[in-house]
Amino acid sequence: MQKKIRSQRFICLDIFLTLLTLSIMEYFYYGLRAVVLGCVCVAVSVAAELISLRLMKRKFTADDLTCVTDALIFALMLPAVFDMKIAAIACIFAVTAAKNLFGGRRNMMFSPAAAAYVFVLASWKNSVLMFTEPHVHTGVFEKAENLVSSVSHSFNVTGRMSVSDFELLMGNVPGAAGATSILLLAVAAAVLIFRRDISAGAFVGTITGTALLACFVPMGSSIGMSVKYTLSTNMVLFAAVYIVSDKRIAPKKNYYAFFYGLFVAVFSYILVLTTAKENAVIIASVIFTPVALGLRNLENRIETLRADEALKAAGSDDIPADQAEEAVADE
Amino acid sequence: MFLIAELVVLLTTNLILSQALGTSTLFIAAGSRKNLLWIAITITVFTTVGSAATYFIELLLPDQYNDFRLLLYTAAVGILYVLLLTVLYFADRAGFGTTRKYVHLSAFNCAVMGTLFSVSDRLSLHPTLNTMGSFMIAGAEAGTGFILAAFILTAAYRRLNSVSVPASFRGFPAMLVYLGIISMAVYALT
Amino acid sequence: MSKKNSVFDGLLGDNTVLSSLMVISPIIVCGDTVMNGIALVYAFSVITFLSVLIGSFVPKKLPYAVKIIIYALISSAVFIPTKMAAEEFFPDIIPRIGVYFMLVAVNSLITVRAEAFFYRMKRGRMIISLFFYILGFDVVMLTISLIREILAYSTVCGRVMDADILISGMAMPFGGFIILGVMCGIYRKFLSVFGSDDTRGDGGDENVSDS
Repeated sequence: MQKKIRSQRFICLDIFLTLLTLSIMEYFYYGLRAVVLGCVCVAVSVAAELISLRLMKRKFTADDLTCVTDALIFALMLPAVFDMKIAAIACIFAVTAAKNLFGGRRNMMFSPAAAAYVFVLASWKNSVLMFTEPHVHTGVFEKAENLVSSVSHSFNVTGRMSVSDFELLMGNVPGAAGATSILLLAVAAAVLIFRRDISAGAFVGTITGTALLACFVPMGSSIGMSVKYTLSTNMVLFAAVYIVSDKRIAPKKNYYAFFYGLFVAVFSYILVLTTAKENAVIIASVIFTPVALGLRNLENRIETLRADEALKAAGSDDIPADQAEEAVADE
Repeated sequence: MFLIAELVVLLTTNLILSQALGTSTLFIAAGSRKNLLWIAITITVFTTVGSAATYFIELLLPDQYNDFRLLLYTAAVGILYVLLLTVLYFADRAGFGTTRKYVHLSAFNCAVMGTLFSVSDRLSLHPTLNTMGSFMIAGAEAGTGFILAAFILTAAYRRLNSVSVPASFRGFPAMLVYLGIISMAVYALT
Repeated sequence: MSKKNSVFDGLLGDNTVLSSLMVISPIIVCGDTVMNGIALVYAFSVITFLSVLIGSFVPKKLPYAVKIIIYALISSAVFIPTKMAAEEFFPDIIPRIGVYFMLVAVNSLITVRAEAFFYRMKRGRMIISLFFYILGFDVVMLTISLIREILAYSTVCGRVMDADILISGMAMPFGGFIILGVMCGIYRKFLSVFGSDDTRGDGGDENVSDS
């Protein structure tokens, strides 16, 4: 148990470090305003976590610092010039309504960051999908001017990309401040998968699903272009790393997690293709939460059956300790 | 591709996620898989056959008597209610004690009555869709939407009633917020 | 229910909406402004009170299904004059509420709770109890409408307030689901603190239907 708790804290720390690198990149492109936005999200999330845990009569422990990574994930999905008050409201919503109301980290239903983003998308669609150009540094309290739509939007609508591959790779394009740095995201994905911090199955499922559909039903003029751009726009890579592959939500076994990721990818790709819906993968990840929960229920049932069979075979009444722990955590 | 497009339509026009029709019935249905299946099937029967009845009511009822629609729809559902009970009684007398409760729960609720009104309001405006077949298909689609919403809730049912959920929010309140967040994502699709 | 029922239960201890989750669709979809709330309160109160009262004269010996159909037909008939009167008082609101105005007429307080609960009481006690059940719905409807109107439009009864940020989603059905869920939780906490614990972990009353 101790080992498990420690490993969960390391997961949180690893994810935090990768998010920090994305935030540094964000600072490089958008200046202090983007960093302050991230800090506001983190501060409000920690405060909301503290208050809601207090109301639930639970102690705030190091494990509850996952709210910091959730807040950073959410902040990185927003435009750097996004209204901080709205971001704060969304963070309160994520921590209280989408997480702690269901029992907090012991009983996760939704990715708090995804729920917060969808909340913002449903209420302030125009603000969340308009961005400043990279290298336009807006003051912390300044009102942003000359807002443009994201590179994902223009790709979804026209099927063409107006920026070079190098710029796309470096994230030097209009879009969500932290979700456009493809190179950094690829490195983060490799590190997190290598350290088993995210669900490899869900990640591979999401990427495979998007790539396969991009081949069979291309969005661009060629299959190569379609694969390249569908993976690098609409926050697909960012969501594949930090939202769909979130170990708290995705099915535990890679086999099931793969299919969960695949479903999310297929659904979101077709949504983008048919309706040009920007960042559909985030919406799809929330809609497919019941699928993840259903698959986890299935896993539990199989584990219970296996444990029963093992018990019968051993003729013992004791449940193996590791399986009992898993079942308690999931219940 | 077609299936995904249909799934999107089923979600965005879902009577529970977009109109909150039949939410309490859904909560009861999600309590057990057996209840869920039978209530969902019975509601689908009511919405499908009931939609056919509303087609004839819309066809025959003059516009100046529009206020009588509810009365006539209720009478149609009432007749269907009695017919279904009769069929179940003669089909399986031994199991009638169990099966009749699904009919009782499914007859007069928002899922059925709301579907009848929304189907007739939507289709009677389009001359090409104003046919009995279209009405029945729309009714069946609404029933399928109910089944989909029931599965969405069933997948999370145990977690929503888990001891980890604060006692005040365990059960109904958590279910409402859970459906609210799914409904929010569906709204964001449109 | 093991505890003794009081005629005032409908208002607090066994609230129509927050405890039994009856008649929640109109609250979730239409309860986004106080004016809509008032219109629905009017429709629900008049239709439910008259329908349950008239329905109490239906012979008890009839089969259950027949009685339920008769109750539904009575409320559908009561709906007609109620709607005519509403067109006089709330001419602008009726089209906005649309189909939910009619659905209020087949609510589960009339079709389910009346038979299982009200008609087992003496008529005088039934009328008082029914009044408080209706009042319970009215209070919740108006409270939720007020909260949602402030959050979504920053107005109260159409009068503009000075607010920086509008959460437009709160006027949408998902906002209704979330606000109602949170209110349900607060209500249960309130009950558990002040004695009458209602923190049930199950799906609730099996007899609950919905309207």
